[in-house]
Amino acid sequence: MDILLLLESALNGALVGLMYSLVAMGIVLIYKSSSVPNLAQGAMVMLAGYVILAFANQLHLPLWAAIPLGIVTMFVIGVGIERVALRRLAGRPIIMILMMTLGIEIFLRAGSMTIWGGTSRPLPIGISDSPLFLGPLLINRAYAVGAGVAVAIFVLLVLFFRTRIGVVLRAISDDYTAAWSVGISVERGVALSWAISAVVATIAAVLWGSVQGVDQSLALLLLKGVTVAVLGGLDSIGGALLAGILLGIVEGTASVVLDPLLGGASRELVDAAMLILTIMLRPHGLFGRHDIERV
Amino acid sequence: MLFRQAGILHTNYAQDRALFPIPADRWMIGGLLLLAAAAPLFLNSLYLSSYLLPWLVWTAAALGLNLILGWAGQFHLGYAAVMGIGAYAAVHAQRNGVPWEIAIVLAGLTAAVIGSVFAFAALRVKGLYLALSTLALQFVMDWTISHVPAISGGTQATLQAPDIRLLGQAVTSDAGLYYVALVWCVLVTTFMLNLRRTALGRALVAVREKDYAAAVIGVNSFYFKLVAFATSSFIAGVSGAVLIGTFYHAVTPEQFSVDVSIQALAMVIVGGLGSIIGSYFGAGFILLMPGAMNSFISWLTGLFGFSLGIETLAHLPHALYGALIIGFLLIEPLGLGKIYGNIRDYLLVWPFGYVKK
Amino acid sequence: MAAITDTTADNVLTLNNVEVVYDYVSLAIKGVSLEVPKGGMVALLGANGAGKSTTLKSISGLLAAERGEVRRGEVTFQGHNINALMPQDRVKLGIAHVLEGRRVFEHLTPDENLIAASAVRSRHDAARNKDRVYSYFPRLFERRGSAAGYLSGGEQQMLAIGRALMTQPKLLMLDEPSLGLAPFLVAEIFQILSRINREDGLSVLLVEQNAIAALEIVSHGYLIESGRIVMHDTAEALKKNPDIQEFYLGGAENKNFHDIKHYRRRKRWLT
Repeated sequence: MDILLLLESALNGALVGLMYSLVAMGIVLIYKSSSVPNLAQGAMVMLAGYVILAFANQLHLPLWAAIPLGIVTMFVIGVGIERVALRRLAGRPIIMILMMTLGIEIFLRAGSMTIWGGTSRPLPIGISDSPLFLGPLLINRAYAVGAGVAVAIFVLLVLFFRTRIGVVLRAISDDYTAAWSVGISVERGVALSWAISAVVATIAAVLWGSVQGVDQSLALLLLKGVTVAVLGGLDSIGGALLAGILLGIVEGTASVVLDPLLGGASRELVDAAMLILTIMLRPHGLFGRHDIERV
Repeated sequence: MLFRQAGILHTNYAQDRALFPIPADRWMIGGLLLLAAAAPLFLNSLYLSSYLLPWLVWTAAALGLNLILGWAGQFHLGYAAVMGIGAYAAVHAQRNGVPWEIAIVLAGLTAAVIGSVFAFAALRVKGLYLALSTLALQFVMDWTISHVPAISGGTQATLQAPDIRLLGQAVTSDAGLYYVALVWCVLVTTFMLNLRRTALGRALVAVREKDYAAAVIGVNSFYFKLVAFATSSFIAGVSGAVLIGTFYHAVTPEQFSVDVSIQALAMVIVGGLGSIIGSYFGAGFILLMPGAMNSFISWLTGLFGFSLGIETLAHLPHALYGALIIGFLLIEPLGLGKIYGNIRDYLLVWPFGYVKK
Repeated sequence: MAAITDTTADNVLTLNNVEVVYDYVSLAIKGVSLEVPKGGMVALLGANGAGKSTTLKSISGLLAAERGEVRRGEVTFQGHNINALMPQDRVKLGIAHVLEGRRVFEHLTPDENLIAASAVRSRHDAARNKDRVYSYFPRLFERRGSAAGYLSGGEQQMLAIGRALMTQPKLLMLDEPSLGLAPFLVAEIFQILSRINREDGLSVLLVEQNAIAALEIVSHGYLIESGRIVMHDTAEALKKNPDIQEFYLGGAENKNFHDIKHYRRRKRWLT
């Protein structure tokens, strides 16, 4: 086994993993504020990609204008999804809520393909194909940029949660009855978290779209996102970031080791195995919240 | 369906616990069974083999999923994988010379054994985590089926299913295959109808409502979860095998992908959790909806003289089916079964509405 | 009924024949009427399940979170009917509800707890209110940096009250603030409450099972049983009432349990 190859895959894997974290952070944001596990996050990424392309290709706007417009559109869509579909389900059994997010997933995925078709379209954001060199290791430039953006988003989110509105959102996720009792508008808080999550999905769409084009496969990021979110603890944004790196490294190295043995495509298997192992061994993830017990 | 009866009056427990306590129901069921049995006589083979037959098989499958979802209250996102296990087990058994009658039982048993793996997940976690782990298991099983050549017959391969042979007689006519599906569906329905009246059924409901409360009154929740998963997997496996034998005639991994799992879930949700008649409605609705939608859209486009792209036509039914799930959850979470129940309750005493209370 | 001569106009809060149902079926309180005078301290006493918390929720609007609704009667705050308002609008008007069991935001620090509670007030007011809360509860200031979940029970109760004060209330409603606290802490918290009442003229509606402590600081008391107000008097009179002594002040020296139950069944509150 070539140790350099392994190292290289691990490093690139970590970068890709950070890009998975972007999807996972969207899931975590919504789960934190309303305990809704959003299985439509992947479809939201896909929709965001198509929306940006619609601005860029159909309205012939430059990308620097199309992306902010896409972010605004997705902000509104995020609020809309919460308002129309999930607000009335508050307090219903989890089976209904899961089914609802699955329904939204199908609707958004098939809906965007109905409008824009299923062929893969490029979303070039001007990152050159030539790799970066870190000593003898080759690093994919697009992954490096994506990982950098993911870390930046993470920092922004952490700072956001220190602001007054951010503190209010955290209060909602702690105890929404108590939040209500002090005059916090819980519905608006939850809607805001959906909106932020949709914005994060848009950024993920730009990065992933530039790597693999915009098509249905963006929705499949859901599996990666969910795995990372659960591994990180579902309600911890920092956990999502670290779990992304971890999953990325495991995936990267495993594909080097396992692909020759299994005849390719071992990544999906590794993801599924990580998800199952996490749930069986440590359901609250690496950094999930144990409820505080007073000492 | 008018019920010539004002209220339900029973004078002993046997009457009260009968499968169909109302005479009008018995007549209706009998009539429907007769119609179903006579269907090959008056339906052309297109309707018989491309609508009625898959509907019956999928209803049986949906009932099996309803056992887990509606009765035992355990989320299952990997149901199609379990059906796939049954299908592959049956096809391989048949190809190795096992008679079909035994092959489908083998299919059910294999599915039950492997499907019980899901029960071990259900032992440790519930709710969201169970949903996610069953989803992951679906991916693992998909992967295994398509990447192990001994199972799938090679990557991207289609495995031809041998003809069904009952007692040595090859069943190839449309009517014959239809009867196989009908018998299986009736069997599963009868089982599910009776499940409600047994200790097992009541125990499952107790586990669903609150598993530790059930444990306190002596219901071993793990045992019953295991039984529920095994039984449901058995039904899934046989349904998968019957589906391949009577409808697809060949088996590929895509027939049992995660999308199919979600489709099965949609049947149960649209039909109604825990509702038997609802499973019939749900399976029919989800199966027929895309086709009906397509004809409706082509009628519309013909009417208004515009044309839609081929891709739009291909994906629109899917989008609508997502919208349907959303709509049902918002408007009538208990599905078509509940709507039917409401109508029936109304007609049961019609026109004497005041009898109800 | 004893001499309560307040005219309605002077009341900060009036409940008139309020009836609450949960889930459209179960009747939790059946026609409760009570009044809190401006700047007054009133106690609502009663046993478990009598309807005390439901009464408070009907005032603060938190019933909706538990599928409850006010089916009849009206809640009037400063002369306005507030039946139809959302909880956050009621908070804005000046109704603060300290929930039973403290319910602080466990993963937030006390400082952040207070900030989160100022959502309906301006940033400027929030800073001033926070200083005021810290002046009432210096102990919270000492512990402002650690997660609220790790505070002691008394500190959490202080935080819950401080959080309610952050909304600049005109009426402070407390649901069993003494629950699970040591007697000296109860005394301390009640002292602070009467200080706030004295200094700021804040009206207080206090729900308690601990009638001894509550009747020390309030001017009037209501007694609720099975969803109905069954007695209403000044605190002094209530303390002297033999039935109150019997059931709420622990005055049953020479009766055994059987006799008490029997007595209770016979003698309903008839006032």
